[in-house]
Amino acid sequence: MAAPLELSCWGGGWGLPSVHSESLVVMAYAKFSGAPLKVNVIDNTWRGSRGDVPILTTEDNIVSQPAKILNFLRKQKYNADYELSARQGADTLAYIALLEEKLLPAVLHTFWVENDNYFTVTKPWFASRIPFPLSLILPGRMSKGALNRILLTRGEPPLYHLQEVEAQIYRDAKECLNLLSHRLGTSQFFFGDMPSTLDAYVFGFLAPLYKVRFPKVQLQEHLKQLSNLCRFCDDILNSYFRHSLGGISPAGQETVDANLQKLTQLVNKESNLIEKMDDNLRQSPQLPPRKLPTLKLTPAEEESNSLQRLSP
Amino acid sequence: MSLVAEAFVSQIAAAEPWPENATLYQQLKGEQILLSDNAASLAVQAFLQMCNLPIKVVCRANAEYMSPSGKVPFIHVGNQVVSELGPIVQFVKAKGHSLSDGLDEVQKAEMKAYMELVNNMLLTAELYLQWCDEATVGEITHARYGSPYPWPLNHILAYQKQWEVRRKMKAIGWGKKTLDQVLEDVDQCCQALSQRLGTQPYFFNKQPTELDALVFGHLYTILTTQLTSDELSEKVKNYSNLLAFCRRIEQHYFEDRGKGSSSIRLS
Repeated sequence: MAAPLELSCWGGGWGLPSVHSESLVVMAYAKFSGAPLKVNVIDNTWRGSRGDVPILTTEDNIVSQPAKILNFLRKQKYNADYELSARQGADTLAYIALLEEKLLPAVLHTFWVENDNYFTVTKPWFASRIPFPLSLILPGRMSKGALNRILLTRGEPPLYHLQEVEAQIYRDAKECLNLLSHRLGTSQFFFGDMPSTLDAYVFGFLAPLYKVRFPKVQLQEHLKQLSNLCRFCDDILNSYFRHSLGGISPAGQETVDANLQKLTQLVNKESNLIEKMDDNLRQSPQLPPRKLPTLKLTPAEEESNSLQRLSP
Repeated sequence: MSLVAEAFVSQIAAAEPWPENATLYQQLKGEQILLSDNAASLAVQAFLQMCNLPIKVVCRANAEYMSPSGKVPFIHVGNQVVSELGPIVQFVKAKGHSLSDGLDEVQKAEMKAYMELVNNMLLTAELYLQWCDEATVGEITHARYGSPYPWPLNHILAYQKQWEVRRKMKAIGWGKKTLDQVLEDVDQCCQALSQRLGTQPYFFNKQPTELDALVFGHLYTILTTQLTSDELSEKVKNYSNLLAFCRRIEQHYFEDRGKGSSSIRLS
């Protein structure tokens, strides 16, 4: 139990401990199950197989994919699903399959295939964290891998154009988000009060989508409308990741203060505006109340005057 | 299809009732059809039986190429052609028949999730076994897939399909899995289905839904198809409530209607 468990994964940003979905799933599960995980961020380092990240290394084992890592942790007695019934365990498997089939293609597309997002956000972020000259090759390769996966799994006839595939995967993703929102309802986690594997997976997929700032945001906008899912992500970030964020939490405080400042400024501006309007009203010449009969006459006179003026 | 096209199609679908001469096309039953296609076809047949809609099964060697999406089975109803279980369920719903209307939102979410589980694990495992496991490929798949065609077309088509499937497996990360790992995944999936089913007659208690049809299609085909080894069917036979489930649906929806297919051998 005291064996040092090291996790190699991509680093964080935008308030998240990691920007990479799969790394985030493993980190969240470790927090939920209480596994003592030492996180090795592989940004700016020369690490061999980056394609397999996240990787868990112990003294004798190297485990690579999230599902396998979670299994390994469970065998080491770090089990977040201890309290679940058999049926809930079965539901977990089913919902994870739903996430991978319906939500993952759209998330991959938003991050890696959508040109605006890829070139302005994803590529610079990853390229800045990979040493030269890999930074020229690796992001491109990851992007092609993502496109390949989307086309091979969803791009079958009768969808012949990439736009049609895109439309279909975004529709499926929105439906999946709605289903998750229905399933979560008002409870804090998916199975009652304790977080489990399913919560780790949902958090891992949703949090980057929720927090990373993209230019093209249709899926993000849809997610933001589902307030219980946003609340779910925020809860987990605040309760389980506040300490590990370290330098980011005072920044979090600062953003709260900054928001408060902006709000007070806005309120002040509005009250200033109201005062100005009030002053204008008071200072404007007070017209005497008109008598009704004179109203009929004066417009006719003005009209005739204006007509005379207009004719050359 | 874009939203507009879909709305148009369901408008047309809703206009006419289900005709008597609806047909379902699949590949040749005895010589050509493979495990995964048979499972899909049986799932659709079970679904239509559960909805009480008459359907005639027609076997054609080029069914895969006739289908609008390249997948079998597909149904020809009136003047429309719809393929695969998902679109067929929606098409039937547009005609006014649905099995899942009585479910609330959470149950519908669960149903969709379990259908994805079956597609993700069982179907992919079947495809892996058929096309990536050397023993099965050599003995069964190649011979069956190209059987209606003359040499050399049969070899070319079989290799082409194998290359396609292997590419897809690699893209989703199954390329590096061994057969044992795949069988373990099948076991996990069956365990999940068994736990969800419990002691109920159907997955959502009294009434069957499209999930029941899909699960029946896959499990029944796995249990009754002869492969090079029995490992896959052994995994399913470990769960007695799943066997009882298959038997129940077979008796209720297939034998009663006079369509006796080979019954399950319970050893």
